[in-house]
Amino acid sequence: MKRSLAAVTALLLGITGCSSGGDAEESGPVTLTLAGWSLATTPEFKTLADGFKSSHPDITVELKEYDAANYDTQMIADLAAGKAPDVYVQKNLKNFFTYQDGKQLVDVSDVAGKLGPKVGGLSAYQVDGKTWAIPYRADSWVLYYNKALFDKAGVKHPDGSWTWAEYATAAKELTTKLKASGDKALGTYQHTWQSTAQGFALAQTAGASLETGDYAFLKPYYETALDLQTAGAQVSLGDATTNSLTYQAQFGKQSAAMMVMGTWYIATLLNQQAKGDADTFEWGIAPAPQLTKATTGTSATPVTFADPTGLGINPKISEKKIAAAKEFLAYAAGADAAKALAGIGVTPADSSSVADTIFSLKGAPGDELSKFTFTTHDTKPENPVSKYTAPLQNILKDLHTEVLSGTTPIDAAITKAQDRAKNEVLSK
Amino acid sequence: MTTMPVRRRRWRNTAIGLSFLLPNFIGFLILTLIPVGLLFYYAFTEWNVFGGATWTGLDNFRQMARDTTFWTALRNTLYYAAFHIPLTLAVSLGLALLLNRKLRGVAFFRAVAFFPYITSIVAIAQIWNMLFSPGFGPVNELLRWVGVDNPPGWTTSADWSMPAVIVVGVWRDMGYYMLLFLAGLQTIPGQLYEAARVDGASAWQRFRAVTLPGLRPTTFFITVLLTIGSFKVFDLILVMTNGGPGQSTLVLAQYIFRKGFEENQFGYASAVSIVLFAICLLVTVVQFVVNKRRSS
Repeated sequence: MKRSLAAVTALLLGITGCSSGGDAEESGPVTLTLAGWSLATTPEFKTLADGFKSSHPDITVELKEYDAANYDTQMIADLAAGKAPDVYVQKNLKNFFTYQDGKQLVDVSDVAGKLGPKVGGLSAYQVDGKTWAIPYRADSWVLYYNKALFDKAGVKHPDGSWTWAEYATAAKELTTKLKASGDKALGTYQHTWQSTAQGFALAQTAGASLETGDYAFLKPYYETALDLQTAGAQVSLGDATTNSLTYQAQFGKQSAAMMVMGTWYIATLLNQQAKGDADTFEWGIAPAPQLTKATTGTSATPVTFADPTGLGINPKISEKKIAAAKEFLAYAAGADAAKALAGIGVTPADSSSVADTIFSLKGAPGDELSKFTFTTHDTKPENPVSKYTAPLQNILKDLHTEVLSGTTPIDAAITKAQDRAKNEVLSK
Repeated sequence: MTTMPVRRRRWRNTAIGLSFLLPNFIGFLILTLIPVGLLFYYAFTEWNVFGGATWTGLDNFRQMARDTTFWTALRNTLYYAAFHIPLTLAVSLGLALLLNRKLRGVAFFRAVAFFPYITSIVAIAQIWNMLFSPGFGPVNELLRWVGVDNPPGWTTSADWSMPAVIVVGVWRDMGYYMLLFLAGLQTIPGQLYEAARVDGASAWQRFRAVTLPGLRPTTFFITVLLTIGSFKVFDLILVMTNGGPGQSTLVLAQYIFRKGFEENQFGYASAVSIVLFAICLLVTVVQFVVNKRRSS
């Protein structure tokens, strides 16, 4: 009986994961595990692992796949259970606070200190003077436009000088003229995400912040979005959600002549055009429309947003593995990885030196404005790091659907969101 | 001969019985009982998964009292339950009565009515969202065709999103409860109907005096299941409206998910879970008491 009790206890411990194994210090080759998502369609993780292996033959990086949509939920569960991979990705900044505050990241200030000055997005990972993750890709939101549809409508291509008002005028003009020429395409497409309005508002408005609980800065951006919806120059939020529209199909299948989206879409579009999943047409990227004229034009630096994507180290691994992981992080943010990533259309953290690589890919635009857009931008974080960010973003997500569904007028929705932010989040 | 063999045999029987229970019980213990037990502890703490939970006493419940979103979610949950329970009862009973006759192809129609229940919820939400699409959806096309000039926006309008979700909820659940009602109908002895007929009772009178009383245990069972199911509604709303537009379809179960898994406030999410649990428990106890009083 005693033996069977012991067996049951052992079984229970095994199931609940209460093992006490650790990594023994050994010399020789090291194998690191790296978290990734949708590995079949997201080649960047394998590119990093393979590129690192060729310069560090002693260290092998193995990939562990996660579900893209539930990445953070699964990663938090794995970290809490002690089953997380050695190196894991900060998919965006929304949950960075939870990881950092929860002591789930190794201090990588020494790696950060050795990086070149052009690595974008690093400051987002700094808390109390220390760096907790290293960015390997730094996207930014830009304006994609379909040159063929612009030409068909006889509308002048974007030149980097647009404010939101000029963008809205162009969208309406495109819609009317395309309709006249028998084309069903609309002027523009802003996807269902709250960031299509709020990301720009937060980045471009001086003094705007989520934590102040004052959201008046959102108003002009929602006025533009509502104006475009009402004018029929953009699919309404209701039609986009009920019909599960994808932004890839809206732009790739030429249902919209313009689209604001992150630079990650460059790789997708090139890939889909090559495979025939998207139509073949000439396109380009221009700086995102600006709030004021001050930041427009190719002599200024356009202001936009996006969270960097970074790598952090799981603190529960051995010293030896931490040392190897730090080498991997340094590689991922460095020039060699930047070239390799650009080769598959991904925007690396150090994007200044790879514009030629990315724009020499088959199907990529060759115009100067596209190159300017790719290399010149002041990119603010979409999710400023704070313990309040996740709940505040949820409140603002409700505001987004409330306003764009026409349920609540913009002013009333802003007042409601401010009250909720104060009572439910900021007063805690 | 001593009592040893008897005791040993009794012990053996118990061990055999336990071994049959064990596989199921271990799963229940690890995946349900222990987490539910811990929930009652975490509800009084602040905990973001990592590290230990900080004991905060009744803070979570105090915060809930002034959390307007919690009250909105509670109101929406009651709204959903208030319509979903009676409508599903009525529709599934109606279907069961219709399909309890000796018709040609009755098995086919029963299978058809049961089909929504075994269809993936994501597919259901996707298809119904398209049907309800305000601009191009068939539902509004039909309404315009019959002369409704300004058809509702359904899932894209704060006023109509909850009715839309309730319609889909009823449609999904009706087949399952129809099956339970059908089973209940089979237990009513045919002689009772014959006797009623001989006494000259009309169809309505037979329904009131024979069918309904005969179905009481089934109806009670279904009402309890439906009530708990309605208060716990989650998957349908998550994939169909994600609580929107605004907060118009945000229900308690989704609020718990949001607070816990999106905002990592597991202490607060646990506290809201306890409130939901208490509501379900209270309503069920009331139903049991009422049922007991009626049957006596």
